[in-house]
Amino acid sequence: MNSIEIKNLSLNFGDVKVLKDLNLTIEKGEFLVLLGASGCGKSTLLNCIAGLLDVTDGQIFINEQNVTWLEPAQRGIGMVFQSYALYPQMTVEGNLSFSLKNAKLAKDEINRRVKNASEILQIEDLLKRKPAALSGGQRQRVAIGRALVRDVDVFLFDEPLSNLDAKLRTELRVEIKRLHQKLNNTMIYVTHDQIEAMTLANRIAIMRDGLVLQLDDPKNIYNFPINKYVAEFIGSPGMNFLQGKINNKDNVSFQIDDTLFELDGYNFQTIVEDKRPVWLGVRPENIVVNDGNKSMPVNFDVVVEVIEPMGADTLVWSHFNGHEFRFTVDGNKVINIGEKINLGFDPLHISIFDFESEDRL
Amino acid sequence: MLTKVHPERLFIGSIMLAFALLIMATVGIKPQLLQSLQFLILFVSLLLVIWIGIKAGKFDIITNRLRNRAVGWLIAATFSTALWSFAHKSTQLVFPALKEFRKIWNTFEPFALFATVVFILFALILFIVGSRDSKLERPGFIERSLVHNLSSKIAALPMVLTAVGVFVIATLWTVYHSFTNSRMLPKSEFIGLAQYERLWNSDRWYMSIENLAIYGACSLIFSLVIGFMLAALLDQKTRFENTFRTIFLYPFALSFIVTGLVWQWILNPDYGVQKIVRSLGFDSFVFNPLYNMDIVIYGILAAGLWQGTGFIMCLMLAGLRGIDQEIWKAARIDGIPMWKTYIQIVIPMMRPVFITTLVIIAAGIIKVYDLVVAQTSGGPGISSEVPAKYVYDYMFGAQNLAQGFAASTMMLVSVLIVLIPFTYLEFGRRKNA
Repeated sequence: MNSIEIKNLSLNFGDVKVLKDLNLTIEKGEFLVLLGASGCGKSTLLNCIAGLLDVTDGQIFINEQNVTWLEPAQRGIGMVFQSYALYPQMTVEGNLSFSLKNAKLAKDEINRRVKNASEILQIEDLLKRKPAALSGGQRQRVAIGRALVRDVDVFLFDEPLSNLDAKLRTELRVEIKRLHQKLNNTMIYVTHDQIEAMTLANRIAIMRDGLVLQLDDPKNIYNFPINKYVAEFIGSPGMNFLQGKINNKDNVSFQIDDTLFELDGYNFQTIVEDKRPVWLGVRPENIVVNDGNKSMPVNFDVVVEVIEPMGADTLVWSHFNGHEFRFTVDGNKVINIGEKINLGFDPLHISIFDFESEDRL
Repeated sequence: MLTKVHPERLFIGSIMLAFALLIMATVGIKPQLLQSLQFLILFVSLLLVIWIGIKAGKFDIITNRLRNRAVGWLIAATFSTALWSFAHKSTQLVFPALKEFRKIWNTFEPFALFATVVFILFALILFIVGSRDSKLERPGFIERSLVHNLSSKIAALPMVLTAVGVFVIATLWTVYHSFTNSRMLPKSEFIGLAQYERLWNSDRWYMSIENLAIYGACSLIFSLVIGFMLAALLDQKTRFENTFRTIFLYPFALSFIVTGLVWQWILNPDYGVQKIVRSLGFDSFVFNPLYNMDIVIYGILAAGLWQGTGFIMCLMLAGLRGIDQEIWKAARIDGIPMWKTYIQIVIPMMRPVFITTLVIIAAGIIKVYDLVVAQTSGGPGISSEVPAKYVYDYMFGAQNLAQGFAASTMMLVSVLIVLIPFTYLEFGRRKNA
């Protein structure tokens, strides 16, 4: 059963087209992350689903009900904002119960729901405090609680962790994941942080210029990015790109200047003709440093230029045929600047993109 | 025990004491005795400086920074010596022309002398402290009070003196003279509460207070309500918002006199609203509030509101803009109707703006004067008098200073009665929160 269905959604601000004919289906209990650079329309899409923005065209269904022109409160959604948006002059309890009181619920029911939500989020001790007396993490918990008490099927998160410091962010990230596993509600989560997206999502929708580029589970997005933009956006440190052309004489291979990389094992989507200009993308973590024996199908040499130790592993910067080339090695491995290293990778883990359209081949 | 006594603090304290004695002597309380006492204390300060020097024991090379400051104080001492010698007896022998300034100089002389002594003492102590403090981590008491941010302290001094002079001394002077029988010029002949008795027996004063109460209550409520409503309407992503804002704010650019004159014409039966409606054919239409004793104050109120609400609106609009847009979104998701969001969430959040606005409106109410003068001159009869006009008229018109002072003291008292509990509540709240 579909929880949310978005059909041909468009939104224009004057002449600016923010969302362009967008279609999206979200299953019940799914955790969908909308990921994209700022200005890609991800928050706008979330606001449309919430009913905070009037759409120009298209329809939105929540639980099979057309809610396109319903008020936000009637859509059965709860929303958590980046700036928490707590009501500052009310206590935590007041914040949690305000919408319920306004909906004229029975007092027992209100108390039960507030108690339940505060237990789940571990904010029982804070109920009598005002938001000003809470830390960022506690405030965001209360904000989640405010969505929780409304007993809704769909949760919307608008960059909820962006105002927190790095440590709290990781902690709360796990908690949101736990919350999802516990409640099994549909959640839509907007972020520009790819780590959040990868860790939280059942499926990620990568957006750009008001369009969904790729909608898939995190693993597929990471391994099989649909185009060069997605490949660049996902993964840290970012993917390496080498510009060359396809050599299709006997075996399919990638030619960069005079060097040939055999592409045996790479799954081409289409038949690729000879001499087609392409990008070859390979992730730093898929590069293997060869110690004498060449274990990988493709091998080449680079000179170490800069070393960035990051604890568990070390990021090494170098150049290959004029292209910047990064790769990670084990943190314990000794590497010297200026050293010539032999590297290898498996064509199974690379991506080939068309030079012009930048689509995956 | 002696280690607990800070000679540096004693030093600053004794200089302040000497200064206080100097001022008392200048005012005229036992000048001879106090002046010699003052020099005695300054001598004690010198001993304290020597004590500090002995206590410091080992001397180092003075730090550059402090040496410059010490030299600065020496230069200041040179200047004050120059001032002191100006018109002194021995200087007069050389420049007889300076005899002219003898009278000014008499009050001036002890201060210049005092300054010279103190500045030299400061320079001395900075030399000592500077030689010692170079070894300490934290600047000593002397260094902190004489060196740190000194230029800003000096720069603030004239304004501090002005503020104290205007707000404290002038106020006390006014209250003091309200108990006298000063007529055209202030006199110090006490007559007790007679001026207040006269004030509270005057119909005109009662009328003024009544008018102020009506004007104040209405103007407070209406400018807040109308100002907030306009701001809330403009905040709804209104088209031509800038234009509307400018139009609403324009009256604020006019002075009260002009506003009063404009509204006098508008409300005038021969040129204004009544004339227009009558010329439309309603011959028996009557609308002349400024000539009706019962409602004349509302005519003034209309002009006051027209002039002031635009500004209130701007303040409110700024307050509304300061509210996080996500609060609005959250309230919409929570299903709170818009009017309820305004009343229960937004207005409480705008508390600081409301307090600022309240103070501005209240100040405007208390000082309403020119509007009345321009529109009605207090008429018809005394029916549109206000306290500020009463004060002005008695002080400068009727040449009865003490009566005017008594009225202004009453105004001050009533303002304080409102203000003190209000400030107390405000500051008390903040401490508790």
